[in-house]
Amino acid sequence: MLPLSYGFITYRNTSVKWVLNKDCSVKVNGSTNVNKFSCVIPSYPKADTLTFYKTNLNEPVKITGIMMLDIRAFDCHNPIMTKDLRKTLKADRFPSLIIKFISLSKYPEPSEKAHLLKGAVTISIAGVTKKFEIDYRCLPIGGNTITLIGSKQITFSDFNIVPPRKLGGMIQTNDTLAVEFILKMTQLN
Amino acid sequence: MKKIFYSGFIAGSILFVLCYGGLYMAVRFFPVVFVEYNNPLFNSDGSRDLLFYLHAFIISFALSWFWDRFKGLFHGSYLIRGLEFGLVYSIVALLPVMWITFSALDITATMVLSWFVYGLMQAIAAGIVFAKTNP
Repeated sequence: MLPLSYGFITYRNTSVKWVLNKDCSVKVNGSTNVNKFSCVIPSYPKADTLTFYKTNLNEPVKITGIMMLDIRAFDCHNPIMTKDLRKTLKADRFPSLIIKFISLSKYPEPSEKAHLLKGAVTISIAGVTKKFEIDYRCLPIGGNTITLIGSKQITFSDFNIVPPRKLGGMIQTNDTLAVEFILKMTQLN
Repeated sequence: MKKIFYSGFIAGSILFVLCYGGLYMAVRFFPVVFVEYNNPLFNSDGSRDLLFYLHAFIISFALSWFWDRFKGLFHGSYLIRGLEFGLVYSIVALLPVMWITFSALDITATMVLSWFVYGLMQAIAAGIVFAKTNP
């Protein structure tokens, strides 16, 4: 940590590591013209770390770090729907959904009250990577731990995936998916 | 031969409207029945849509040939002949195919039963058309 003072503005140039807890999860909500589906990866067993590079207070922070999720861990609460989603996301060829964290509008201080943030991530599905702006809710849950809930509407076509259509198009999956990821993470230093 | 083709084409056109129109309405008004079609067993990339929609003509031409060979066995009014023809086709051809399909694929009995009834209705409709156009 290297604090530099210029008058009354304090500048800090420091990196802080956060570790992702196993309670992290990803949920995808979608629909067809005959039903709705909700598929979830309920936990994240890897203890990956994200590094936040703090500059000014209340200024955007750069982040490095990824979350690599196993597509085969998706559970749609219906074995047939689960298999169908895996096939649609080409899990055989591209078994991972990768979220790469790029930036956050403000450093998520664990001592602050719940607040809203924005951030940038890239999401890679089926071999295609796309950048998205994400809306986050930051919920401090005590100690150095926070919950960041990010949500974004994406489409199958963002990733060059054709939404499934069955029976000559009589049954069609809508292109839009609502993705929500819940990051529970603890500040390390 | 000309009569087989003509009857097959007429029956195919009628089945096309009845079957796909009926399917469209069923998906619209009874969506729950179709939820289990979200299954990787079914083609989902649209590459076989043309084959799917040609089915009405494939079954109609096949049944038209079958009718032409065995129409002398069906007696009574055109409605009775068509009904009996549909039942014969369903028992001889459809039932064994549905049986082996259910035994081999991971699909529900409801789904197979609905295919059987769908095929039976198609064959009865085609039989009635044949009894009129190629008595």
